[in-house]
Amino acid sequence: MQVLARYLRLYFALGRYGLARELSFRVNFLVKLFVEVLWLGVLLAFYKTVFGKTTNVGGWTEPEYLFFVGCYFALAGLIEALFLANCSEFAELVRTGDLDFYLLKPIDEQFLVTCRDIDWSSVANVIMGAGVMGIALYQLDWPFDLVRALVFLLMIACGSAIAYSMLLLLTSASVWFKRNQSLYELWWLFTSLMRYPREIFSGKWASPMGWFFSFVVPILLVVNVPARLMVKFLDDYVLVAFTAAVALVLLFVSRKFFRYALRSYRSASS
Amino acid sequence: MKPVASPHDVDDAVEERGRDPQEEVRSLTQSRIVRVARKYGNILRVSLIERLTYRGDFFLSTILRFLPMVTTILLWQAIYAGAGEKPIAGFSLHEMIAYLLLVHISRMFSSMPGLAAGIARDIRDGQLKRYLLQPIEMLGYLVSYRGAHKIAYIATSSLPYALLFFLCREYFDKLPDFLTLAAYLCSLLLAFVVGFFFEASIGMVGFWFLEVTSLLYVVNTLNFFVSGQLFPLDLLPPFWAGVLKAMPFQYMAYFPAAVFLGKIQGAALVRGLFAELVWGLVFIALARWLYRVGLKRYSAFGG
Amino acid sequence: MPIIQAHGLTKFYRVTQKKEGVFRALRSLFHRQYKEVRAVDNVSFAIEPGEMVAFLGPNGAGKTTTLKMLSGLIYPTQGSAQVLGFTPWDRADAFRRRFSLVMGQKNQLWWDLPAADSFQLHREIYSLSRAQFTRTLGELTELFGVSKLTDQPVRELSLGERMKMELIAALLHQPQLLLLDEPTIGLDVVAQATIQRCLKDYNVRYGVTMLLTSHYMRDVEALCARVLVISHGRVIYDGPLARIAEQFGKSKLVKLHFENDGVPTDLERFGEVTHSEGPVVDLKVERTRVPEVLGAILERYTVVDMSVQDPPLDQVIARVFEEARVQHEASSQSA
Repeated sequence: MQVLARYLRLYFALGRYGLARELSFRVNFLVKLFVEVLWLGVLLAFYKTVFGKTTNVGGWTEPEYLFFVGCYFALAGLIEALFLANCSEFAELVRTGDLDFYLLKPIDEQFLVTCRDIDWSSVANVIMGAGVMGIALYQLDWPFDLVRALVFLLMIACGSAIAYSMLLLLTSASVWFKRNQSLYELWWLFTSLMRYPREIFSGKWASPMGWFFSFVVPILLVVNVPARLMVKFLDDYVLVAFTAAVALVLLFVSRKFFRYALRSYRSASS
Repeated sequence: MKPVASPHDVDDAVEERGRDPQEEVRSLTQSRIVRVARKYGNILRVSLIERLTYRGDFFLSTILRFLPMVTTILLWQAIYAGAGEKPIAGFSLHEMIAYLLLVHISRMFSSMPGLAAGIARDIRDGQLKRYLLQPIEMLGYLVSYRGAHKIAYIATSSLPYALLFFLCREYFDKLPDFLTLAAYLCSLLLAFVVGFFFEASIGMVGFWFLEVTSLLYVVNTLNFFVSGQLFPLDLLPPFWAGVLKAMPFQYMAYFPAAVFLGKIQGAALVRGLFAELVWGLVFIALARWLYRVGLKRYSAFGG
Repeated sequence: MPIIQAHGLTKFYRVTQKKEGVFRALRSLFHRQYKEVRAVDNVSFAIEPGEMVAFLGPNGAGKTTTLKMLSGLIYPTQGSAQVLGFTPWDRADAFRRRFSLVMGQKNQLWWDLPAADSFQLHREIYSLSRAQFTRTLGELTELFGVSKLTDQPVRELSLGERMKMELIAALLHQPQLLLLDEPTIGLDVVAQATIQRCLKDYNVRYGVTMLLTSHYMRDVEALCARVLVISHGRVIYDGPLARIAEQFGKSKLVKLHFENDGVPTDLERFGEVTHSEGPVVDLKVERTRVPEVLGAILERYTVVDMSVQDPPLDQVIARVFEEARVQHEASSQSA
């Protein structure tokens, strides 16, 4: 408990100073915020245009799909706000050797490498995404169900954990792939798989692919499971349990891999 | 996450720092043809070596680059299924997917990663003085440098893209005739001109404002939509489609792809190409004017 | 009880050979070639609490690598070490709280924040109590003379001031051991002297053990009584600074002041004339020949004043490194 309190205090301090720093570049911050709004606008324009020409996508009706878009935007925003910028610096830290300084502190290295800064402009994405989800629920005349909402939040947490773990696995690989293959690029590819309902993976060669990305490399579960749970009322307890289990397993595996990568870094650096 | 860092932009990024001033002075004293040949040869050689050196990276990025294409194809299949398999805005499913593939090719010609930022940086760092002291004109130099780099990039990307198009050949129901192909190539070359001078103009804003990167961010996000990279502009309601088709941004993605697919024919095609040419000239003039005016301001303030 | 004990510390690296040209690059895509580099070779030493010890050596000698092994940042290929009672590369939490590593020209502080904010973060990281933190910070800023600068963003400070802030941050949690890697590199002479003075004061006041690497003799002379000379990964000398000249110096510097019109012109047969200005001549004489040479000169000429000194330390060291390098190259070629 004491350890948890300590890390929370440290996290608040980091967040506070990070916000102060980001606000000192005020124009930059506002522009980033504006761009995020624009990006949501682009996503919504795409959604609106598509549904002007079709009635459903993979079995998702218009308001259901809107919820999916909001869910995706919020989840991606959450990862971008908390972890993405930190992880993308890792390759540079390895290259310059500045990673050493994180290794010297009496703080868990994974915490320092992945959590040290909050990207406050992406926090707005979470709020906007939540707003979009709210609108979609209103359009669906969603019957309020506390249990469902709580399990939904749990699935959001699990989805975030899965995305975080995959991000950590990619980040750790930077120790060996010495070129700065920008993590942002890889993350962009990753989110492109997360962005659409699982149901589009139907057909002769797509189905196995969908199965692979659901149960072996479970990217497709990240947004799909919470969204489906909430608006499609598919009470697939097995899938929910599986998602939770996978999240825990991936957190464990990614941490192990990260520590393995650190060991390798420490054997090789000079 | 904004699509400003597509695989294109990373691979194609020009290492601005790699420019060697000594090399440039030396090259100025040689005959023009030798200069050009040497420069192209050099860039090509360096790019090839660079790609081969980071071997794990090379294989991985080739594979991962095409993953979003797969999800895009699947998404549109689902969209068409929901629309009863009927054509949407005059595009059949096959044409839609062919369009999205062709947009990649358009972008290969029209995207200029790092150009505006590089110009702004040169202005800020004072590297601009180099162009003032030496008898080389900045825009001319950048165009030829970027052009050579594009050729190298297209050369090294041609194999993976050829593979991709081969795998997706079923989506190309008919290939364009010779005339259409010629028009298509014209539109691609002009797309390079439009793309280059548009980005260069944005870079010139660096003479007046420090934070060009913020502006770029906004422009790129908007451009992603209005240039037709998400879907053909014909999908939009007629009013908006008309507005966007009157703007120059369509030439950076939508127009060449539509030409290839035969969506723009006859008189409309000629008009379109002509308009593309005009826009190209407009941007050339704009960039040069901004450069001249900006330079005056720059010298006045001592830089 | 030594605070640091190293036994046979060794570190080898495998370095890939990069090839020039397109065809060779193609070939290396499928078949890589390696070369083995011995960064640290069987290094052993012991350091007592409160000592100030220098690792002296040319670039690439293995000083930084040794320091990193003692910090636990690198695993050794062979050998063992005990630092503050811990095995460094286990990186126990308790171990990391008890020492600090500062690297010259590398910035640990947050760049855009005032140093004071970085210090506050340090406080959270090391879980220091408010009272202890405030007191320690006050003492340190006074010692380093930067009390008025802590509210400025770090990027606005000069190099010397930045280094002082780095050192303060390193000492906030009152470590028992301070490891410094080239701490004064890149600083101007005045800043170097200030840092040296502050470190010396701190060592005297709090008895913190300090281990520093440098290739500046001035650092070493100002701070450390004991020196470990490292070359090509090996320790070639471990002992007091004063005796280096004795051990390695092959020659002595004989300063002679002759009578105004009695300056001899044939001094070359006694040794090397390194400096000559009017009646004063500096003569480099082989150590063993000094008594004989002195005798001969005093016999023949009138000498007003004279002294026999060791040559400047950095010259001695430079020559030692040069010899070691030649020897190393010869042995690696024959291998």
